[in-house]
Amino acid sequence: MANSLKPDEARIDGRTANQLRPLLCTRGLLERAHGSARWQQENTIVMAAVYGPKNVSGKRENSERATVEIIWKMKSGLPGNAEKEAEVIIRRTLDYIVLSAMHPNTGISIIFQVVHDDGAVLACAINAACAALVDAGIPLNGLIVAVSCAVTTNGVVVLDPTKAEEKNFRAHVCLVFPNRPKSTVAGLPPPVAGEPAEHGIITCLTRGAMSVDEYMTCLERGRAASVKISNFSRTSLEHCQRGYEMLNA
Amino acid sequence: MFLNSQKALLKSDGTRLDDRLPSHVRPAFLKTGAVSVAAGSAYAEFGSTKVIVSVYGPRESKKAQAFSDIGRLNCDVKFTSFATPLRGKAGQDVSDKEFSVLLHKALEDAVDLHSFPKTTVDVFALVLQSGGGDLPAIITCASLALADAGIVMHDIVAAISLSCVGKDLLLDPTYKEESQQDGSVFIALMTSRREITQVTFTGEWSSTKASEALELCCDACVKLGEVMRVCLKEDAAEATEDT
Amino acid sequence: MSQDEGIESATGAKDVASSMEVEAFRRLFPVQYIERYLDASVRPDGRPLGRARPTDVVLGQVPTTDGSALVKLGNTTMLAGVKLELCVPSGESPDQGRIAVDFQMPPICSPHVRPGRPAEDACSINEQLSNVLASAQLLDLRELLITSGKSAWVANLDIYCLNADGSLFDAALLACAAALTDLQIPGVAIDDDGKVQIVSPSGDQDQHMLDAEKVSDESKSRRIDKRRLTLGPVPVALTCMLHKKHILADPTAEEETYLQTTVTVAMDSSDKLISLYKPGGLIVATTSTIMDCIALTRIRLKEVNRILIEAAQVKAGD
Repeated sequence: MANSLKPDEARIDGRTANQLRPLLCTRGLLERAHGSARWQQENTIVMAAVYGPKNVSGKRENSERATVEIIWKMKSGLPGNAEKEAEVIIRRTLDYIVLSAMHPNTGISIIFQVVHDDGAVLACAINAACAALVDAGIPLNGLIVAVSCAVTTNGVVVLDPTKAEEKNFRAHVCLVFPNRPKSTVAGLPPPVAGEPAEHGIITCLTRGAMSVDEYMTCLERGRAASVKISNFSRTSLEHCQRGYEMLNA
Repeated sequence: MFLNSQKALLKSDGTRLDDRLPSHVRPAFLKTGAVSVAAGSAYAEFGSTKVIVSVYGPRESKKAQAFSDIGRLNCDVKFTSFATPLRGKAGQDVSDKEFSVLLHKALEDAVDLHSFPKTTVDVFALVLQSGGGDLPAIITCASLALADAGIVMHDIVAAISLSCVGKDLLLDPTYKEESQQDGSVFIALMTSRREITQVTFTGEWSSTKASEALELCCDACVKLGEVMRVCLKEDAAEATEDT
Repeated sequence: MSQDEGIESATGAKDVASSMEVEAFRRLFPVQYIERYLDASVRPDGRPLGRARPTDVVLGQVPTTDGSALVKLGNTTMLAGVKLELCVPSGESPDQGRIAVDFQMPPICSPHVRPGRPAEDACSINEQLSNVLASAQLLDLRELLITSGKSAWVANLDIYCLNADGSLFDAALLACAAALTDLQIPGVAIDDDGKVQIVSPSGDQDQHMLDAEKVSDESKSRRIDKRRLTLGPVPVALTCMLHKKHILADPTAEEETYLQTTVTVAMDSSDKLISLYKPGGLIVATTSTIMDCIALTRIRLKEVNRILIEAAQVKAGD
């Protein structure tokens, strides 16, 4: 597969550089979980199940807030450092929206099952977690939205890369932005002129080397794409109980 | 072959390969306060053997453990993967477990467990470089770290080992000498009380030889104890100057 | 330090602050304690906000390794060692050796680590280190090759944290880079069957030296002398803590515990961004915050490169 791309050239799956894969979000699939969601970006599918607030014992009990526990299940194989790291990143990302102080002395478990990984799996999982938390009725102070982009060898930024693109392209980035009209968190830095709070980055993860300018392009494209995904996720949560599909994103 | 290896350990003038006399210990370097985030810590260097020990606590005991009226001492020894010439596996392997138990035994009687009831003092050791006499180095260093952490002790514990190679008794052996030994003694001694907390003999010993070896070890421990006291006093004086 | 310095924070802490011992105030209101310093543009340890702690690098401390480094970043201490072992290159990349990075946090390093399973932080840093070393062009794995498809070196890079006082990743990455600059690859002799023997080993000399003499008699064998790696630009990381409008470079463990939101930027001297790592947290980073962190990293990069050069000179002088 080619590892470079002209700015207006179609990608291997026929998408343009700025095009996301079709999104599909279904909630309430699992009967025993308090909340669940399945988030699909074409071939990348992640299921998230939320249990809690529930009883938590021993050292993990916190008298000031609920303890959030993340468990990442791979499609196959044993979990290694990469999975542990994903768990840490997701937990700290969800810290931003979960109002854990409302349920002290309890635990909230979020279990992720990767159904299929065809690139942008972490972004997919974070989007699934957000939908599952809403489904479980856990108090949140807003929604978040995650998006992936990749940088080709000749510096073109493409959105929502597939596994093959992540592997062949020079670098890829996973970004998480707030998805809400207004910020409610205290202690935010004062908004910089021309930079509303929802442009802030909650989580950022990069792989591979890139120039600072390329990173800034990723941020810009990611933000633009996050608006599309935000709209999809909000409509999905507002209008439909069992699932919502957005084609031609 | 056997005779050859003996000759290889002692030179013609009766000194060892590192120019020590058989009854001399290796140059030691001791320093407390090596790990700033610990309650107490110490670094010890005996020749090429290098050890760090941190002490944490007294703090809450693990939930899984049964209730105990007196305090608990919890010991754990680890080696770095590059401590030995052949690369060891990272993580805890068999020899670490054995050392952890031996360290616990050597310190248990010296520490006043009644002074921290219901809680645990953790003694963690990491062997950065293993150059022979690892266990005595760990124990000596741990005892300094406990003193640095202000844990109440009846006395400080100094430890030393001795190798018997043929007829010769080699005090504080190096890795090479240890690997060729026919028998060994290892003792941990409370230096002011002159009470032994732990002694291990391996190999074949006649009673006269054994008491000669013990005598040598005890004297060396008492001397080491003096060095430890000087180290503690100096580091304490330094600490008060700083603040 | 004096209680009167700084601006009173707008919490209940201010009422008691004036009548309390410093150490008690520090323990009871840790966030306010740090904030009072920050408002006066200084850190509890006396540093300006954007400055990293004094950094020391000593090379070649562990004779049982092929390359080692001891790194001190303030109180944070890392010991890294590389041990080379022979291996067969994988079928996918027959022209490359391998590097295996392992970051360990033994229980001595921090009150939060207990013996048993590795700490969560250790796993996370391990993964970050592997990613950064894979992303950066520091090490060309082809240099670890001995015979294509038959034999190569695997570099086991183990990093031990001896004292965990914040910014562990920065210190660990520096230790990795320093240990690799110190790495000396032993000379080898390859006979006709492609069998490789080490000529100048690091560890047990005698056995191998005999082998070497034997091998050198055979005229057909090929020899590769001992050598050092040609390393690419060194990646340097700087962790910044975000708190309100402040950016604190190179936080200590105390600052990390109470302020929580971090951004870690890794760059190399060709001004490439190797990694930008912000794992969630309660504060979002704006583009200008990111640019500020990148600017601080660029300054730090120059500092660290100078420290590495000095360390290499000290080693060469010995």
